[in-house]
Amino acid sequence: MIQHLLDGILVGAVLSLGAAGLTMVMHMLRFANFSHAELLSIGAYSALVFDALFKGISPVLAAQIGLLSMTGALALSMVFSMVITGISAVIFDKLIFRRVREKGEELSMVFASFGLALIIRNAIGLIFGLQTKLYSQDIVFATVLSRDPLVLVKPDQLATLGITLAIILLLHLILSRTIFGYALRAVAENPSLAQVNGINLQRMIVVVWVLGGGLAALAGVFYGLNNQITPVIGRDLVLPIFAATIVGGIGSIYGALLGGFVVGTAANLAVMVLPSGYSPSMPFLIIIAVLLIRPNGLFGEERT
Amino acid sequence: MKRCNRMMVSTLSVAMGLALSAGAAAAQDCTTKIGAVLPTSVDWGRPIAETAQFVVDQVNEAGGVAGCNVEMVLRDSQVDPKVGVDAAKALVDLDGVQVLLGAVSSGVSMPILTSVTVPGNVLQMSCCSSSTAFTKLAEEGKTKGLFFRTFATTGVQAAVGAKVAKDQGYKSVAILYKNDDWGQDLQNLIAKDFEALGITVTSATAINDGQPSYRAEVTSALSGNPDALYLGLYPNEGTAAVREWLSLGGTQNMIMANSLKSDEFRDNVGLQYLGKAFGTDTASPRVASADSFVAAYEAKFGGAPNGPGLANSYDATMIALLAMEAAGKDATGDQIAAQVARVTDPAGTPVTADAAGFAAARDVLAGGGNVMYQGATGNVRFDVNGDVSAPAVVWKFAEESVEEVEYMSLTDVDDFIASLK
Amino acid sequence: MIGLVSYLVFFAIVASILAIAVLGLNLQWGNTGLFNGGVVAFFGAGAYGTLILGGGPQDGQLGGFGLFYPLALLGGMATAGLLAWGVGILTLRLRHDYLAISTFGIAVAFENLMRNAQWLGGGAQGLRGFNRPLRAALGDGFLYNILFLLCVLVLLVLTYRFLETLVASPFGRQLRAIREDETAARSLGKTPARIRLTAFVTGSVIMGLAGGLYGTFYAFVSPQDILPTLTFQIWAMLIVGGAGNNKGAVLGAFLIWGAWTASGWALSRFAPIEAQLYTGSIQYILIGLVIVGMLLWRPQGLLPERLVVSQLGRTKT
Repeated sequence: MIQHLLDGILVGAVLSLGAAGLTMVMHMLRFANFSHAELLSIGAYSALVFDALFKGISPVLAAQIGLLSMTGALALSMVFSMVITGISAVIFDKLIFRRVREKGEELSMVFASFGLALIIRNAIGLIFGLQTKLYSQDIVFATVLSRDPLVLVKPDQLATLGITLAIILLLHLILSRTIFGYALRAVAENPSLAQVNGINLQRMIVVVWVLGGGLAALAGVFYGLNNQITPVIGRDLVLPIFAATIVGGIGSIYGALLGGFVVGTAANLAVMVLPSGYSPSMPFLIIIAVLLIRPNGLFGEERT
Repeated sequence: MKRCNRMMVSTLSVAMGLALSAGAAAAQDCTTKIGAVLPTSVDWGRPIAETAQFVVDQVNEAGGVAGCNVEMVLRDSQVDPKVGVDAAKALVDLDGVQVLLGAVSSGVSMPILTSVTVPGNVLQMSCCSSSTAFTKLAEEGKTKGLFFRTFATTGVQAAVGAKVAKDQGYKSVAILYKNDDWGQDLQNLIAKDFEALGITVTSATAINDGQPSYRAEVTSALSGNPDALYLGLYPNEGTAAVREWLSLGGTQNMIMANSLKSDEFRDNVGLQYLGKAFGTDTASPRVASADSFVAAYEAKFGGAPNGPGLANSYDATMIALLAMEAAGKDATGDQIAAQVARVTDPAGTPVTADAAGFAAARDVLAGGGNVMYQGATGNVRFDVNGDVSAPAVVWKFAEESVEEVEYMSLTDVDDFIASLK
Repeated sequence: MIGLVSYLVFFAIVASILAIAVLGLNLQWGNTGLFNGGVVAFFGAGAYGTLILGGGPQDGQLGGFGLFYPLALLGGMATAGLLAWGVGILTLRLRHDYLAISTFGIAVAFENLMRNAQWLGGGAQGLRGFNRPLRAALGDGFLYNILFLLCVLVLLVLTYRFLETLVASPFGRQLRAIREDETAARSLGKTPARIRLTAFVTGSVIMGLAGGLYGTFYAFVSPQDILPTLTFQIWAMLIVGGAGNNKGAVLGAFLIWGAWTASGWALSRFAPIEAQLYTGSIQYILIGLVIVGMLLWRPQGLLPERLVVSQLGRTKT
């Protein structure tokens, strides 16, 4: 039981990062972006490319950091990958979402995001091939935290959790303590009024995409580290991330964090109750349960 | 007058000579199409299609079928039944194919069979559809003898897997199986076989496609503290599950279905952890010519023909083309289907699985004889329902590819299965 | 030539069946503004319901009642309606993107159920043992397909007429009223919740009809048929054709299904041999481009909603 709870939180950390980016985009731009999870894919694959590059350039970087299977090269690649993914997100917005926003309504954006997701996923499949890839083929063994009840954790997952918590805290501080954060929130609440106060709307939109993309890249790399890298990362994660976002409430960063943990834990606890064949339904049953009690998610607010 | 006659004779002979050579050249210029509906947009589907095309290339090298070049028209099924069925219908109606290779998942093969190939009298040869529903359909007479599959029935796979557990002395096994028709079948059958042998099944956990993490499933499999782990998975989720299993301290005693006989799986898990991992599969024939198939494959693709469905896809394509050769030019699907028995006759002349083998078969068939095709999956022999049973082999991973641990002839397999009842 | 006609008949059958489903979605989204993300669940309920009620007995499974075909089809539609009623009661009060995700989740749960509950629908093996109506008399060939197409077209036209009448009727006005301004409608004494539920259930029953016909045509259904990709395809058809317009719904179905199949055919025919293995991925990219392109060019769809004027204003003399 404890193991399952712990597993849920560790697995959920990746979902929380993805949800944090998505919740910002959904709150600001007011549409359900089904291509957000593809940014995780882009992040994971760019990190793969940079990782190979850095390992080739300097063998020193190829050493693993402590107990983790992450290498120095991968840590450095993460930063580059965040930049690339952020830029990609801005490009997609410029090319597609901005134009659809001007002409159509919300449903058109949702559909455009579906179409974009198909394109990105299959383009990655064409470029990199469909086989499974890994950052490191070494299997890192779990550490035994306690013998009875048996509790095991993998160092990689602990690192993921630690970094996720740090990033979420940082994000929250930025949003609540800095002027920049205020500007972002103002634009999300009421774009016209924010512009009246001199905030540059276009620049804020770019910032949101860059932040969302960066968070997604991080989530993608952690997912690749803890699982494996395939072109269908986006397809597999889009719904759990949506579930996490909705459970937490759109617009709330802490909600995204909690939502990720809830979804991760639900999937893990479900195996105790239902045959594992039903695991894919768990995130949704959680969503429906949460929404029946709190129709705007745990921390969400009524949308104006 | 005589000169005129001589001129006429020589003109006539030149004209006849030209006509004959033109006719022969024309025979080489014709093209026969066969259709293939395979999931090329899925990672394990693409190599299956590649292998089928490889066979077509080899046959064309050997001079084609009934004097014509073979062209394989490939359509992606997208693992979506209505897309697959539509593609099959287009191949039959628009391209006029009489032979259809496909599909891989039973959920796509079945509607193709009922709504396209049986009504259209087209031969359908599937490399990999495992559902027992096809056997039942054939027993009811609804396939009209048009459906064959080069996929050995799951019952054999399960029985051999259980035998490995018994031979290794495992008292309890946990099962991880893929949650599709193949995996569900396999799990049902092997659970019964384990029980019959007195081995406890501590848990049987379904692994769904495309989940972010298999931690929960692996943890629940671990909790029963089994002596060994049985894996009915494909390389993608197999890699994820086994890596998770090992990192959580699970035992290295593993038994794998033939779907995990893949270099990708071996490399991503690591040979050092696979020392006690035994796999089951259908056996290749124990003749030197079997090596030529592997050699040719490696020459073309740079790697051994390991991977789910590759050997089966090779055999499906080759047998279909052999049957087409036997049936002759412009044969219809049902005529070709009737010839399948001629090219898989256990009393026939053995031919190997390569271009030379095809050429040899052509000569034998032209002379009215029968052929026994020694395929990549063994001496393929179809029963009355279009199913195959084959001898079995137990294998384990090695540096370069796989090595055989034990061979069970068809009689051995049948006896063992009987002993489980 | 005969091959082309045979293929076109086959294509038209599938496109018409999908068009019926799109009409059902149009009632829910186009007329009532309900974002149903779980179309495939109601479609699937219709398919499975029809095959369970109309099929032969299968060991270890529910079903095999062997009912007279029209009854089985109605039974499938009723199953879809019942499922919709339950789902609607739970979720219709949610705001629309949450409704989309919840209904999507219901569809995933339904697929999981059919995949795992082997006693119910055969599990991943699917449900077989169904004999198409009149197959014994008419055989399986071209003649059968032509007749089947005629039946499906008749049902399509009937559904279309039914929905057009509905939209022009007082009920249709109520739907538009609650879609445009719910508070105003409530102030006039309408009960939006009940009206929405009725529209949702009716639309789902129509989707169930499409599902039943689908299962009948292939004489087989499996969890592969009820994956989320169908929901996406039906939505794309409505978006491209024009939400809110029944003609647009039918047009969209034929266009998108035509694009889907034609792109596969064209790639297999014209792409160079080296690219043949990649045509699957390329086809998806083309489809994505079509969707995005359509939305950039004409987001309201090819045939946008026409406002129905029920009563012309009369000037007072």
